[in-house]
Amino acid sequence: MDLSYEVKDSYAEITAAGRLNMVSAPKLRELVAEVVAAGTSRIVINLQETAFMDSSGLGALIGCLKAARQAGGDLRIAAVQPQVQMVLGLTSMDKVLTSYPSAAEAFGDD
Amino acid sequence: MTDVLARRTLRQAALPEAIEAVHTELDGLWEDASFVPDMDRMTFATAVIEAASNVVQHAVPESTAPVELGVDISVTPLRLEARVSAFGAAHPDPIDTDPAMPDGEAESGRGLALIRALVTTVTFKRQDGTNTWILSKSPLND
Repeated sequence: MDLSYEVKDSYAEITAAGRLNMVSAPKLRELVAEVVAAGTSRIVINLQETAFMDSSGLGALIGCLKAARQAGGDLRIAAVQPQVQMVLGLTSMDKVLTSYPSAAEAFGDD
Repeated sequence: MTDVLARRTLRQAALPEAIEAVHTELDGLWEDASFVPDMDRMTFATAVIEAASNVVQHAVPESTAPVELGVDISVTPLRLEARVSAFGAAHPDPIDTDPAMPDGEAESGRGLALIRALVTTVTFKRQDGTNTWILSKSPLND
């Protein structure tokens, strides 16, 4: 998985391309911790190119959500693809992790 | 076993890198069995990766030799089957084979519940120092 991030005006966008599984999940947690430590706690994870996610990846997203909220911000996900949507739905985590059509819309209202 | 139309196997050290190898074998399986519908591929692959990850994360060696992960995936006209094994692993703690899905903000514990939701049958057996999870999804196109 390739992870990168870009700090925008009011949030940071993390792009996760590839498979979010037990190999890459710890790397996502580390990156989000770095972004939060650097002072940005409003984070959107762009999942446009995330073709696969397992329960380890889901656990990482939930951990990252907690980290962002503890820092006074939030974590949202965008451009969710079918397999990721399936995992979110089967685990009812689609009610916890708010999904937006695009990264730009995730914090568009606040 | 009748009419196996496509089959892939893998056996290697139960390390995180092995999960990427399982993905590669799944991709190869679909190349050999291109008639399998996308939805079946997606659900079955997710269940297989969950089961393999479970071996890598939780299997405890029975002796000084490290645990090896084995994956045997096959397609027949009626179903998809996976045998996911932990070679050289100790007998696992009592297994709740039908656990509830954790809710709220739990960061782990969803793997087996997710497998249950994705495939038709899940069975576990232990034989000759090997723990094997057998997953099957049938019928195709359901």
